[in-house]
Amino acid sequence: MSDETSVGAVDVTYRGIFQKNLAGVITKELVKAARREDKVGGTVQRYGDSPERNGIPAKQFAVIADDMDSLRVEMTKYEPENVVVVCVMDDTLTKGVESWAWYGVRPINVNLAPGGTLLVVSHRSPEELLHWIPRRTYDWTLAILPGEPSFGGLWVYNDDGTDYRTMGAVSRVTGGLISLDSLIAQAGSAKNPDLRAAQLREGYESVQMHPIAAGVGAQDTYVPVEMPDWTQMREGLVVPAVEVGKNNTLFMKYTTRTTRPLVKFDTCVKCQICYTVCPDECFIPTPEGHYDVNYEHCCGCGICAQSCPVSGCIEMVDESVFESNEPLHKVFESDPAAYEDLRAEKVAQAGGANPHYGIY
Amino acid sequence: MAIPELVIPDLEINRRLTVLPMQEYYTSGHRTCQGCESALVMRYMAKIAGPRTLVTGTTGCMYVANTSYNSTPWALPWAHTQLGSAGSSAIGTAAALKVLMRKGKIPDERINVIAFCSDGGGGDMGLATLSAALQDTRYNLLILLYDNESYANTDIQASGMTPWGAVTSFTPSGTEQRITQHRWKKNVPALLMAGHPTGRYFANASSGFGMDLMDKVRIALDVGGPTFVQTHDPCPKGWDFDPRMSHELAILAVECGITVLWDCLEGELRYQGLTKQQVEGKVRRKPVADYLRRQGRFAHFTDEDVDFFQSRIDEMWEDWILPGVLRVNQTPFGRLPVDGSSPRQAGHAGAAVASGNGNGSGGAQIEAVGGNRA
Amino acid sequence: MTTTQETAPAPEREEIITGCDAVAQALRLLDVDVLAGYPIRPYDSVMTAVSKMIADGQMDAEFIVAESEHSQFEIGKHASLVGARAFIGSSGVGWMYGMEALVVTASLRLPVVALVGNRALDDPGAFGVEHNDAMMVRDTGWLLYWVESAQEALDTTLLAYRVAEDKRVMLPCALSMDGAFLTHSQHMVRVPVADTVSAFVPPYELGDRRFHPDNPVSIAPQFNEDWVMEARRQSDAGMRRARAVIAEATADFHRVFGRGPADPFVDSYRMEDAEYVLMGMGTVGMVGKVAVDRMRAAGKKVGFLRVKWFRPFPQPELRALLRGVKGVGVVDRDYSFGSNSHGGVLYTEVAAALYPEPRRPVLVPFIAGLGGREVSVDNLLEMEETVERATADGVADLTCQWIGVRGPDSDPRDVAATAEGGVR
Repeated sequence: MSDETSVGAVDVTYRGIFQKNLAGVITKELVKAARREDKVGGTVQRYGDSPERNGIPAKQFAVIADDMDSLRVEMTKYEPENVVVVCVMDDTLTKGVESWAWYGVRPINVNLAPGGTLLVVSHRSPEELLHWIPRRTYDWTLAILPGEPSFGGLWVYNDDGTDYRTMGAVSRVTGGLISLDSLIAQAGSAKNPDLRAAQLREGYESVQMHPIAAGVGAQDTYVPVEMPDWTQMREGLVVPAVEVGKNNTLFMKYTTRTTRPLVKFDTCVKCQICYTVCPDECFIPTPEGHYDVNYEHCCGCGICAQSCPVSGCIEMVDESVFESNEPLHKVFESDPAAYEDLRAEKVAQAGGANPHYGIY
Repeated sequence: MAIPELVIPDLEINRRLTVLPMQEYYTSGHRTCQGCESALVMRYMAKIAGPRTLVTGTTGCMYVANTSYNSTPWALPWAHTQLGSAGSSAIGTAAALKVLMRKGKIPDERINVIAFCSDGGGGDMGLATLSAALQDTRYNLLILLYDNESYANTDIQASGMTPWGAVTSFTPSGTEQRITQHRWKKNVPALLMAGHPTGRYFANASSGFGMDLMDKVRIALDVGGPTFVQTHDPCPKGWDFDPRMSHELAILAVECGITVLWDCLEGELRYQGLTKQQVEGKVRRKPVADYLRRQGRFAHFTDEDVDFFQSRIDEMWEDWILPGVLRVNQTPFGRLPVDGSSPRQAGHAGAAVASGNGNGSGGAQIEAVGGNRA
Repeated sequence: MTTTQETAPAPEREEIITGCDAVAQALRLLDVDVLAGYPIRPYDSVMTAVSKMIADGQMDAEFIVAESEHSQFEIGKHASLVGARAFIGSSGVGWMYGMEALVVTASLRLPVVALVGNRALDDPGAFGVEHNDAMMVRDTGWLLYWVESAQEALDTTLLAYRVAEDKRVMLPCALSMDGAFLTHSQHMVRVPVADTVSAFVPPYELGDRRFHPDNPVSIAPQFNEDWVMEARRQSDAGMRRARAVIAEATADFHRVFGRGPADPFVDSYRMEDAEYVLMGMGTVGMVGKVAVDRMRAAGKKVGFLRVKWFRPFPQPELRALLRGVKGVGVVDRDYSFGSNSHGGVLYTEVAAALYPEPRRPVLVPFIAGLGGREVSVDNLLEMEETVERATADGVADLTCQWIGVRGPDSDPRDVAATAEGGVR
């Protein structure tokens, strides 16, 4: 915790529903451990994220303070301030966070306090991640906890140790906002405490910290939204409809995506199934009967890949290897061979496409 | 705004749709879950209804997830209506159009009126308003009930149309009681069909069969009069499976005989597609275990639970007077429900982990759970 | 204040009809498009009347027999959203049953007009008048009016649509009418002709909010904390603007019909030089005026003040009319258990309205006529006596007295109640 203030918040940014329980465990256990150090604390689920939707970025916070007044101030906010560490539970979130409509895609580190740490669960290198993470006007630290993102469900918890490994890492990167000893002591009350303690230690030791200077990182294109006043809003709770042929540009949805459908156009049989089954209306017919993908709105559900009758025609590929949301069919149009090279390269870069679950 | 020409094929009532209309009137940019099949139903509905359509929607996922101020994915005029008001919003809208056209206050033309509701809003709270709407033959209106089998928008609570035994936020599987969802799913389309002889068209559809679904919406709008279409749409969030399986799970529900594709036009009952083949004995139903075991909400099911579920589905097909549609048993119903009061069994429960959200109640190691990076 | 040059009286014919029938006549003259009904006593005879007029071809409208009040009000709301002039109504717990739909009608800024035939709230099942039912929407953005006579019911129905549909307002309006005394007794009513009515109430135009394929909009998306307050402020602005619109419409009423009330907001009877004033809403005004005449005949300087528009609340009028008065008795035909001085809703509102006045009259709360019990001239004379005594004694805060209830002011078996006391 920084010296000038007696309150610090841990921001856990995660994939809605898939990691809701994970974030809940992390924030709650951090606060319980802090209580063992005579600190006070509470957790905040950002209300705007509720109801959470599968994959749509969401936030939970652990607020830890030395005194009740400092805590009370933060506990009456939707997003507590003085965020000393942002835990990024899925590294594709570094591309940005668009949690709900109208507010735009916010940088993953938009609320990180000067000198704070962005803790990312990832196998990628700092360079790869900094390709997405916008620069700050102050120094900060990029910490990487080696690991796969842990995805569960609403009713089924994926108990793979990511929760305790992350808590261990938080203790390390915050220089003891909560001490490892307190975390281990707290884990003593959990099921199989030895395993939890081992996971805490492993996270504490394996996290790698990289100091990032002010100005280093991707360009920050985020412009906070301007809110009209009550005389500027239309009366009667009315919003203009989308113009036919266009779509809702105030919610792009692509930051929900962890994998994107990559189409092998030369094997496409033009059956129209991908277009038909996409719940997000993201397949755009091309003159020759292919279907290009609208990567601005695709949320990467994978139904198209699962429903495509041609093996390997649509594959779900890790989002983090892609540069932009530009549609790719025009590349195929100009040079099919070059497109195939690009496609193969991306699949390789991603360490292969996601396995197809097969047809029932 | 210029309304483009409606290219929806002008088919006779009993012809089937062969060409998919390409315009979207429910567009990209809605805050629905990955793999939300209810959103797909909205898309099909809007697509086939076309631009001269008014849509009202009750509170629920298809309200809150779709339209967050100051944005909307709707190209059609859309208005929110209260959770229990699908029927009354349709009546109010259709009645106003009728009288304003009669008085020459607006041009006299065909305008489709569609009110959609969820299993909770339509099957539970708003059932009386659906009944009222389906009685009033003066008005052309369609009630579309998208059934994702829970109050999904409030984070998955049991509705009257939640399957027996499913885990929801209000019907958890506990260490003392394995099953707390004791109600068998309400058969709303048959209930409405049987009770409303003046309703012109009733149909049960599935998000997994888009052309059939669009056909049913089109027929409902073309025949006019009060009509009702229900769709069965998998909910990856609440049913707990990998979003990419959504569409196939909808199809699987039909393959297992759980979802039945039927419609009833002016009193004539008809089966469609896969269901038709099942009825004619050309295709065997798959065991319901294939369907149940792919969903986290049934992770706590014992083999006995699965058997009971299967026996109820078999009864639908073998014992009902209208197979898969209307329960009037030809022989008394044989099997009593499993009471589910025995503790959840470790073999099925998996590793239970305390959760800050009270949701991590534990579950079995089953296929296709969680996100597609799992 | 708003009596303009009155032209020659417009053609009218006199009929002997109930308050409900009077409203029905207004609805016919207004060419209302959609009406939704659901049975509950006593408001429902207005629906009986309009459905007959429609069946007899005297009126062209869609009449819908709803399956509940909630649906009834939702039907009205959605019809209004399409651009149809809509009418609903209810009484007592029926009004409560549809509360959700009433609230959204106001927040959607839809000028639906409703008749509330005031009725006691269940339990116990009771049909007589109490004002609590209509009061339940007082904070939600509904314009609220209490009528005293069948004639006023007809005239105010015309006013209600004119004001509610005004672009500057766009809020629903509920017309309250005492059960039995107005809903089920027939009065002499002058019924105007359609031409003059259409000259007074222009056609209903919803503009760019109209729910129609030619105006593609999304209506009432979900709001988060960044937007709700602005939306509420818009409703507040509509209600604030309503005062000027009501004054304007009332003046215009004089011009078109050659008659009408002197003051748009309150009905003040023999208030000039009054030292003591009795106040109330609805039919209590009829006996109130008789009581005042008798007291004036006996040389007492007493006046009666009837609140007509309850929302917007006529604070400027009350301050102007009551600031010089010695004592005021507020007669509530409603209850608000546990509120200030255990008085009713009107008492609390009047007390709040007068608070900014440096010289406030002594204010005495009364509750009378609950569940439809008659309020007699003698009751009002008794109340006036109490007000005079309280003023003379200079009692600051008086616990509300129930008039016409059997039994003592306070329960002799209850020490606390006796200690709290009443006026002796």
